[in-house]
Amino acid sequence: MRIVNLILRLIIGGVFIASAVIKIGNVQVSHGHGIQFSPVPDLTQFAQDVANYHVPPRALNNLVAITLPWIELLAGGLLVLGIWKRASAVVITALMVVFLAAIGWALAHGYDIRCGCFGTVDARRVGITALAEDFVLLAIAAWLAWCREDSTERTTETNQ
Amino acid sequence: MAGTLRRALVIVMAGAVLGLAANALSPRRIPFLTPPKAPPQSSDTVALDEAKALWGGGTAFFLDARATADYRAGHIAGALSLPIEEFDDHYPQIQPMLSLDSTNVVYCDGMDCDLSHRLMDRLRQLGYHNVRLLVNGWTTWHSAGLMTHTGDQP
Repeated sequence: MRIVNLILRLIIGGVFIASAVIKIGNVQVSHGHGIQFSPVPDLTQFAQDVANYHVPPRALNNLVAITLPWIELLAGGLLVLGIWKRASAVVITALMVVFLAAIGWALAHGYDIRCGCFGTVDARRVGITALAEDFVLLAIAAWLAWCREDSTERTTETNQ
Repeated sequence: MAGTLRRALVIVMAGAVLGLAANALSPRRIPFLTPPKAPPQSSDTVALDEAKALWGGGTAFFLDARATADYRAGHIAGALSLPIEEFDDHYPQIQPMLSLDSTNVVYCDGMDCDLSHRLMDRLRQLGYHNVRLLVNGWTTWHSAGLMTHTGDQP
């Protein structure tokens, strides 16, 4: 079971690290030029992607775009490193619930918008695929947040 | 459990602080709060009647900022497809037809649609000084019964 949990942690942590690095590093894919990594982050596009959901109050879209990728990076990194495993799984679970709600909101309103799930590299529109993907990630994150087997943190807590 | 939640909160706060710090240090930092949307200047937008006249005059270029699939499904007759989200791929093909002094009317669809605003900004950055925006362009044009085309051709 431990090995399964380790693999799940690596998968979900890896997904979060990747999505954060793409947003922070402003990774672009252009035809003919391959993948480009900009050393100077530019959050304008991601802020626009956030704004398109019409979920946060307008004034807060930038704040979300500024902070979200770093929260993802930190939580994903800690999960991969096995530090504060349950806490980072809790953060990721909460984020997945928020992402799912946002995607559901966009679908319910029929917004034809970029998903923005993996920053600007991801030109996919919001749709059922993104919804399904997020459900899988939510299930894994929730499992990691609640399962007993891997929770050395919880055992130490109860022992104390 | 309380400990886990406290740690989770620490992760969120630390991530937020890192993000704010990184943005503050970035040469391309964005404002902490999103500035309110500037109402379009009247010289920026073009009313349907004027757009119709420009279209009839044949000297203005109509540029469709929407995705290629939307363009294909129906566009203002004669309009060129320049989807802002694939600007770099499409612009080289369009550029030889435009001139910096020509009147360019950009449009997308829907009152909230920001594609045409972004296309207008992009074209202005490139030196096109006469860019106008037809608000809610496709619907306005289409429902006025004006000439439209479908397919890849303008």
